[in-house]
Amino acid sequence: MATDLRISNVSKIYPGCIANDNVSLQFKSGKIYALLGENGAGKSTLVKILSGVVSPDNGEVFLNEKNLKLSSPLDAKKNKIGMVFQHFNLFETLSVFENLSIDATEDNKSLRVRINEILKKYNFSIDLDVPVLNLSAGQKQKVEIIRCLLRSPKVLIMDEPTSVLTEQETEELFISLKKFCDEGILIIYITHKLKEVLSLCDEVAVMRKGKVVSVSQTQNERVETLANKMVGQKLAKIKKKINISKNKDEIFKVKHLNFYSDDPFETNLVNLNFSVKKGECLGIAGISGNGQNELFQILSGEIITPDTSIIFRNKEIAKLNPKQRREYLMAFSPEDRISQAAVPELKIYENVALNNFKSSNFFEKGLVNEKKIKEHSKKILSDFSVNTDNVELKSQFLSGGNLQKLILGRELITAPELLICYNPTWGLDVGAINYIHETLIKINNQEKSTILISTDTEELLKLSDRIAVIYKGKLSKIMPSEEVTPEKLGVLMGGGSID
Amino acid sequence: MALYFFTPFIAIILTILGGGIIFYILGFNPIEALKFYFLTPISNLYGLSELLLKATPLCLIAIGLSFCFKSNNWNIGAEGQLTFGAIVGGGVALLFYNQEGFYILPLIIIAGAIGGMIFALIPAILKTYFNTNEILVSLMLVYVSKLLLDYLVVGPWSNPEGFNFPETRQFSDSSRMPLLFEGLRIHAGIFLALAAVMLSWFVLYKTYLGFKIKVSGLSLKTAKYAGFKGKTMILVVFMISGACAGLAGVGEITGPIGQLHRMISPDYGFTAIIVAFLGRLNPFGIIFASLVVALTYLGAETAQIFLQIPKYTGQVFQGMILFFLLASDYLLFFKVKILSLKKNELRH
Repeated sequence: MATDLRISNVSKIYPGCIANDNVSLQFKSGKIYALLGENGAGKSTLVKILSGVVSPDNGEVFLNEKNLKLSSPLDAKKNKIGMVFQHFNLFETLSVFENLSIDATEDNKSLRVRINEILKKYNFSIDLDVPVLNLSAGQKQKVEIIRCLLRSPKVLIMDEPTSVLTEQETEELFISLKKFCDEGILIIYITHKLKEVLSLCDEVAVMRKGKVVSVSQTQNERVETLANKMVGQKLAKIKKKINISKNKDEIFKVKHLNFYSDDPFETNLVNLNFSVKKGECLGIAGISGNGQNELFQILSGEIITPDTSIIFRNKEIAKLNPKQRREYLMAFSPEDRISQAAVPELKIYENVALNNFKSSNFFEKGLVNEKKIKEHSKKILSDFSVNTDNVELKSQFLSGGNLQKLILGRELITAPELLICYNPTWGLDVGAINYIHETLIKINNQEKSTILISTDTEELLKLSDRIAVIYKGKLSKIMPSEEVTPEKLGVLMGGGSID
Repeated sequence: MALYFFTPFIAIILTILGGGIIFYILGFNPIEALKFYFLTPISNLYGLSELLLKATPLCLIAIGLSFCFKSNNWNIGAEGQLTFGAIVGGGVALLFYNQEGFYILPLIIIAGAIGGMIFALIPAILKTYFNTNEILVSLMLVYVSKLLLDYLVVGPWSNPEGFNFPETRQFSDSSRMPLLFEGLRIHAGIFLALAAVMLSWFVLYKTYLGFKIKVSGLSLKTAKYAGFKGKTMILVVFMISGACAGLAGVGEITGPIGQLHRMISPDYGFTAIIVAFLGRLNPFGIIFASLVVALTYLGAETAQIFLQIPKYTGQVFQGMILFFLLASDYLLFFKVKILSLKKNELRH
């Protein structure tokens, strides 16, 4: 029986951001559909709505013209919508069979028979009696898929399924997905990898900023055209004056940056080399999860990697911790402003004291100099137009924008020579974004340098003098930003290559 | 915020109610029993002195633990640090068993603090350099120190004139804590506890170390980002905590006990964990909490005498305090929502 899934005028608004803005889409079985978009484009929210994890504020979902009221993941299951998430929901210490039998409705014997049928039919080779922790990522994903197949789903949603897979496993997955599709299961494939869309899917819907911007047949698309749609061509009107000058000194130079992690959720970095000139902004683009976290922590000194050379103002600083690096006039603004850059439970002035120099005298002979810290904090609040003058306020009461202003203020008031920031405007409203962009441009104009790691391409094109793209822990060549187009960036971010 | 300091009171009230129910089930008049338990013990001067005597080690240890807990280090082995401190301090006291001198007691006290400190350094060093879990290591070390004490009091250190009883010689008078009042057991150790309260308040709220402890406790990620030297701080907080536990041990053996034997502590080191949390890891909260918990020790003894119930009911009360504290924290800070699930939904 043919399946027809229709999303009609779905909207979901979170405080401060519209995740889905009047989204309408139609899917029919027999085809593989791609849902493509950057981070924060609204793909995940839409998927969560389809799987019953969140309820939409507006709009409806129809399955074969039946209006679905999905108020919990259980409802989605009952309506034969299966979902394989990016991060697996398996009990590592239980065996594969135990994992599959947890929510099964039949007895173990017939369940085992059915699982074996599925294994045979799709050529999956998984030992049912080994603990899940012994499986590879690809095998774990197969267990999740089997779990869905056991319920004979009509719709199968795959959320960024290849992000943890090897090339070989990816190919196997694609073969299986095509088989499912031939059997009449409707497949919705969520990704930001352009090549996968072209090689696997029949139709592609592109989302940007919560809206569906295009629906088209993949045979009419190329990597470049999709990249264009995904990133959007709308460029900021006030682009800053590029101030690259060949003669300027290199203030910061990284050589042989390698990072290897045992943690499967971290990305390994492979031989990164780059430098930053005085007064320059180096942008590092990329879809999140391609090594930006690790790169930021290595640049800030939270992770020390052996054999890496980091030269800053003619001194080797690779072995120094963040506090020592600050003494050399570096400053850092991490992505996670709520639990890393600041502590919500601490008062504003206490958060200011986190960035403390010998010369700032916040702590004299081991004692807290509250008066000094408070004076300094007051200055930050007024200089960076934070919307309060009460330094005793706990920072959890600041809005995201004001908190980010406070953090940037704290980092910048010491007039650092280099500021490294990671997604500085993530989740902020337009006013705050503008303020922060202006601030970043201003410090470049004062001959101070910045490294801007960001997943927001618009921001990168607006602020950077040179741009490189990080993909799977590798850095592309560094390009002057006037040579960079959104299209080029999109291709590189999706793992393609240019020229 | 106000609720945060209010929940301990709710926990205490619930504990008393819970205790009443238990007494009722056991066949006692709950009001009478509770009166025996919580009022009779402190209805005279001697009782008050005993309350302070029991609260002293609890307060000292809990103050030390608050440094660890505030900075996200889970030192569960204060009992072991107490025991080892008592062993080292007791060793010094035994060296001077037949001598008198004003310098002996300070020497013992310092030796005890150092002993506790060294013993706490073991889990700290293993944690910082070998990534072991401090909960397991510190807990297991409790048994190591208890067995060591056992060996010493039956073996090399046992009293040669003691008819093979598992105990050492009596300490000399110069090795004993001065008593505060004639006829009462309350001793000068209480000043050590009060000094620890003052000092810890100063360190936690007025120094850079205190600031670092606070930040690390709230967010390890932020501490790392700020560049605090995590390893040094772990060592320091464990040393502070061990020193306090060691002092508590010395206070016991030079105070009410006067020698080393097997039972130098009725699990003060473990009970102090409850005290630390009941006092909200705040130095002055800990004073209050140590008095409350000390009362459960006393109440258990009176109950044993007058009601013929085992004194282990004290542990029941201590357990209930922790249970209700955690429960009221959980329920006060979370919203409870009752969902109705239809039967067929459950089956699917």
